[in-house]
Amino acid sequence: MANRADMATRRARACAALLAQVHVITDKEGITPSALHAIKLKLVALARRTELFALSDFTMPEAQGRTHPLLLEDNDGHGLYLTIGLPGKEAAPHDHGIWCINAGISGRERNRFYRRTDDGCTPQHATVTQVGEVVVEPGHGMAMADHDIHSTEVVGSEPSVQLALYGYALTRFPSVSWFHPAFSSVRATASRRHAT
Amino acid sequence: MASTHTAFQVTIANKAQTIACASDQTILQAAIAAGLDYPYACATGNCATCISKIDSGTVALLPRADAALREAQVKTGLTLACRAQPRSDVTITWLARTAG
Repeated sequence: MANRADMATRRARACAALLAQVHVITDKEGITPSALHAIKLKLVALARRTELFALSDFTMPEAQGRTHPLLLEDNDGHGLYLTIGLPGKEAAPHDHGIWCINAGISGRERNRFYRRTDDGCTPQHATVTQVGEVVVEPGHGMAMADHDIHSTEVVGSEPSVQLALYGYALTRFPSVSWFHPAFSSVRATASRRHAT
Repeated sequence: MASTHTAFQVTIANKAQTIACASDQTILQAAIAAGLDYPYACATGNCATCISKIDSGTVALLPRADAALREAQVKTGLTLACRAQPRSDVTITWLARTAG
């Protein structure tokens, strides 16, 4: 049986190989729906290698959600993470301005997708309507384009553990717009694109 | 529909205004319903825009991300208005510098 250091090395190699495959796809196609789908299949395949992502190798959330960087590229490169969400962890509908792909390792997270329905002309006002739903769980994933809107909720009784690949590292994220149907509001968090 | 849960008095110190907040309602929800311009963004415990100081009283916290509010911060009296449900009368001060 591999020891912890060996497993970390194997995990790092597998993640680097995944990123190399992603670049082959995006260099050829750009960020298109078919490219995102192809990347999703590769991320789901990596997530199936559960021996690489034993929870004992990662700190569990002290509250309900934690993100572990697995592989970050310099400058404007992608960010690959392992995310752990405990039951009940949620995120309101949001547009994080950059594409993302998730693949389930264990547990279940419900993703709901939305379309904005107002004209965007009134500051801090927005309405959205749900247009789809996907559960990210083992063997399944989801892909979102740059300005798709989704909400998340960890469902069931066990933690949701996933691989998450973003077009930018989280530390270099664009502004995130958060939509609140109950208040018909939208609020944005600051961009990190020019953070040092 | 009006909540049937116990309602507490929550004083927003930045505005010197006291509002009613049910025990199944977050302080942020009650503030928005009362027309107060409480700073927020995600409203689901992920971004910490609504991070606040509990000056007095007790709250229960709904699920949140570690990055938004750590246990060590909770122990110093910090909270997230979007995750905090009152368990007594509360006085709270938001810490954001952009609103108010």
